[in-house]
Amino acid sequence: MRPLFSQTSVAAVRLMIAATFSVAVMFIDVRFDALNGVRQVVKTMLWPVEQLAALPSVTVGHIGNWAVGHSRLVERLESLALENERLRTEQLKLQTLRAENSELRRLLSVRERVNERLLQAQIQRLSNDPFVHRATINRGQLAGVVVGQPVLSADGLVGQVVMVYPHASDVLLMTDSTHQLPVQVTRTRVRSIAMGVGRLDQLELRNLPDTVDIVIGDLIETSGLGGRFQPGIPVAYVTEVIRSPGQPFVRVVAEPVAPLSRLSLLMVDVSERGGS
Amino acid sequence: MTFVVTLIVTLLLIAIPFPSAMALVLPHFGVLFVVWWALMRNYRLSMTLLMLASIPMDVAYGTALGLHALIFALLAYLLTLLGPRVRQVNWLRQSVVVFLVLLLAAAASYWGRTLTGQDPEFLLLVVQALCTALAWAPMRLLFEWLAHLTGEPEVRTS
Repeated sequence: MRPLFSQTSVAAVRLMIAATFSVAVMFIDVRFDALNGVRQVVKTMLWPVEQLAALPSVTVGHIGNWAVGHSRLVERLESLALENERLRTEQLKLQTLRAENSELRRLLSVRERVNERLLQAQIQRLSNDPFVHRATINRGQLAGVVVGQPVLSADGLVGQVVMVYPHASDVLLMTDSTHQLPVQVTRTRVRSIAMGVGRLDQLELRNLPDTVDIVIGDLIETSGLGGRFQPGIPVAYVTEVIRSPGQPFVRVVAEPVAPLSRLSLLMVDVSERGGS
Repeated sequence: MTFVVTLIVTLLLIAIPFPSAMALVLPHFGVLFVVWWALMRNYRLSMTLLMLASIPMDVAYGTALGLHALIFALLAYLLTLLGPRVRQVNWLRQSVVVFLVLLLAAAASYWGRTLTGQDPEFLLLVVQALCTALAWAPMRLLFEWLAHLTGEPEVRTS
């Protein structure tokens, strides 16, 4: 095998070539998505390694469940039964509302919204890179997941599928600094773009005019613009409204409704067709 | 053989699901893999192997393809030049040198990430470089042990 850097001048030339090659690859990957095939093949090859790496935590989880006392299990069962009763009552109300909504849509000649088909999935791992907010879930191509489908939790929106492998998928969380989401304030219908800032507990709404009607505690939901997400999915609560004197725009900070750092179970909305 | 074994162990360490709050203080195992090869076994390393090893790292970390190739090339260049002198000093001084080199790699990483649309905080990259340098001593022992297991000849160090 040839030595890596035998002479300083040769070394510098090799470094330059390697750096140019790397930057070119980065550019092609980010701008044209032309290397997704490579990513899929490598991720599929890494699948056994990831399963093996997750084995200790899965085993500890199983042992933890097994060690939970009988009285605590009974207590949990009772609380789940109560929750189930409540949800069944809520569902009865929802059915009435759905029928009513359907009738109103028919009268207004608005197309019926496609029924949601949610696929349950579990987070296998979050990226260990602090600047990348991606999660790998245990459902992939074989389960009907495609790129672009929204991913939800019981509380609200989590993100969207960005890569699909046979047995798994990568979900880009909405807090990733490369993610942008068309949203609206539920109370006033003011539209904006929610941008990830690289923190799991924060989103930002930028470039809103200084006179905008928005207050702390307002709920932000998807606006449906862009066609990727259905309108009305809860996204975040406004936690801070920063108005700088002399500035024409206000900066709004919001906290995601879904607790992204503690998530385990997710739902992939497989009724959406997705898209790159 | 040693290269493949150390690469698989590194990927296993990267793939361990740590809590998200720990991501800021986790050492970058991929970088430590390159540091060990560039410092301890640079005569066995080639640029092609380095570029190939960077691809699974990019996939495992979810970064743009090519980012780790850039970091690895810079690290290998700097550490190969410093290698003979750094190998002779104790682990503590080695960790200091590794930290300083990782700072330069952090600058390259910052540039590369900005290029790909991310908005990283440089201070966090410095913290990660510090945590990685602190993990150098135990990781060096791990890689030496793996090299011993695979029959790789030992390199004399301090």
